[in-house]
Amino acid sequence: MQFRLEKRREPSRVVLYSAPLIAVLLTMFFGAIIFSAIGYDGVGAVREIFLTPITNSLKWQDLAVKASPLIIIGVGLSIAYRANVWNIGAEGQYIMGGLAATWVALLTHGMGGFWILPAMMVAGFLGGAAYAAIPAFFKTRLNVNEILTSLMLTYASVQLIYYLVRAPWKDPMGMGFPQTRRFASEALLPNIVPGTIVHAGVPIAIIVALVAWFVMSRSVFGYQVKVVGSAPHAARYGGFSENKTIWLALLLSGALAGFAGALEVSGPFQRMVPGFPTNYGFTAIIVAFLGRLNPLGVIFAGIIMAITFVGGEVAQTTIGLPSSASGIFQSMMLFFLLAGDILVRYRLKRVAPQGEARA
Amino acid sequence: MSTELLIAIIITVVGASTPILIAALGELVVEKSGVLNLGVEGMMLVGAITAFVVTFTTGNHYLAIVCAAGAGVAASMIFGFLTLSLSANQTATGLALTIFGTGFSALAGQGYSARPVTLLGPLFPAELATHPVWRVLFGYSALVYFSLIMVVVVWFFLKRTRAGLILRAVGENDLSAHSIGYSVIGVRYAAVAFGGAMAGIAGACFPLLLTPQWAERMTAGRGWIAVALVVFASWKPFRLLAGAYLFGLVMTMELYAKAGGGPLSSIPSELWAAMPYLATIVVLVLISIRRDASSNAPACLGRPFLPSN
Repeated sequence: MQFRLEKRREPSRVVLYSAPLIAVLLTMFFGAIIFSAIGYDGVGAVREIFLTPITNSLKWQDLAVKASPLIIIGVGLSIAYRANVWNIGAEGQYIMGGLAATWVALLTHGMGGFWILPAMMVAGFLGGAAYAAIPAFFKTRLNVNEILTSLMLTYASVQLIYYLVRAPWKDPMGMGFPQTRRFASEALLPNIVPGTIVHAGVPIAIIVALVAWFVMSRSVFGYQVKVVGSAPHAARYGGFSENKTIWLALLLSGALAGFAGALEVSGPFQRMVPGFPTNYGFTAIIVAFLGRLNPLGVIFAGIIMAITFVGGEVAQTTIGLPSSASGIFQSMMLFFLLAGDILVRYRLKRVAPQGEARA
Repeated sequence: MSTELLIAIIITVVGASTPILIAALGELVVEKSGVLNLGVEGMMLVGAITAFVVTFTTGNHYLAIVCAAGAGVAASMIFGFLTLSLSANQTATGLALTIFGTGFSALAGQGYSARPVTLLGPLFPAELATHPVWRVLFGYSALVYFSLIMVVVVWFFLKRTRAGLILRAVGENDLSAHSIGYSVIGVRYAAVAFGGAMAGIAGACFPLLLTPQWAERMTAGRGWIAVALVVFASWKPFRLLAGAYLFGLVMTMELYAKAGGGPLSSIPSELWAAMPYLATIVVLVLISIRRDASSNAPACLGRPFLPSN
């Protein structure tokens, strides 16, 4: 029996929206086989990584806290990728947002005031947007590839953290540890569910996604982004400026990544440490794709990715699976998703073997 | 500056440049065929851990290099299958390959960190390299000579052979190449495999040439610098050679700034560490100011080939 690919008249919506789910299921199936093959308890690994975080209610707060930065960054990236702007330096923009918020927190240390936390959030927005403005400037002025510039800036920003916490921002009472002092209580993100680690960033993430969904599906800006991304020639005829869209896409995705950085440093971290870059910015790339570049989809994709993070930690303690295993599961998910995309545009058609008459 | 110091500088620069040069030569051929594989960093990490494990268990460096090349090809075939057979988005697939390579190498390298191996020694007998000046010519390991030979080989292949002409045709105009009867997908598979082998060997340089151990993410973005270098060199092998050595110089500058004393030695080490990445941006910007730079890019770069449309 042979198969042939035949182009669909219209892209299949059924495949488009079921592909992420199928990708997750295929990842669980092949993940179990691969991890068994290399000598781990494969079925156990899949159970701990994908199911324990859902069935064990004690893990739900971890899920919420890990999913929120992924959702916030993923929403921004999904808009940028829709516009065909490949910002893959979200990790660097997240870092710069965290550093900008830290700077405000350190400057205002000892002052009281309800305004400190909002000021830190604004600093996070601006820090991330300013860092994304660099690739935007070079892309629009000189057509320099934004993938390379945004990524190189990420590597540079990691070194900036190392420098700041080692020298000028180092906590004088920190017993020599390279880290800043713990933020004053005015600079810490409030907890919203007593007795848990769930902070205000969790509902904010959902709100960001809902607002982005509304803007993308109901506003001229959303329409412009989609047209510039999918049909640049038509966009030019329609009077949409490509450069303006590139600027907006990068500034917006950078600002959201920076905002996530400000939330993280004032929430879970409570101070700036060298371990602040936790790959949220890179994982959010997978989140954006798994969410089909749709802000509502990003909410679900963010939760799925958070499951693999939390589950990866569970599997580390229960069955001794190394932490890097969740990265393999995450990339497998993206591989399956990208492979499945061909079925959105094409269908598999059975071809009758030659010489065999078929009605 | 003393001759001794100058020679020491040349030798460090050559060492630091070699993996970038090898990886960039592979990516150059891939891009000439019209494919943009952003998974170089991931394939390098797969090559690095393979080379480390093989050296650690067998002690045979050359076997390690061959295995690293094979592992790079295997990793590149994931990319090839998705983008060439299933016409998946090349940018996204390349990124996924880098994430995969990072995770895979970290998993495979569990328990190997902080265990030493021996570096690959010089290719030529020590008697040839007794005098410092001779050491600059004959004091390197086989990987360094391999990288230099490959510059000429890639140049010759692309410019002077029929197969190279076909590869360039596929990258410049896939539909025409297809209509005269060349297998666009077949040529691109071969190019992607070559890129994978070169990235694997480039990865092998890290444990065998630079630091004789395994560390997670030990390639530290050098794969991405290699991708940038191809743009910098406007897809020309000899410019790639110059670019790689320029980067090697930037990467090792901290060593002799510290040694030389003076105002340079007070620059924080974090700024030195960030220098190669900042230099990449500067170089990309400078090259883009010259108008003709991007016009040399293969016309079909990054576009999937779908003849049935």
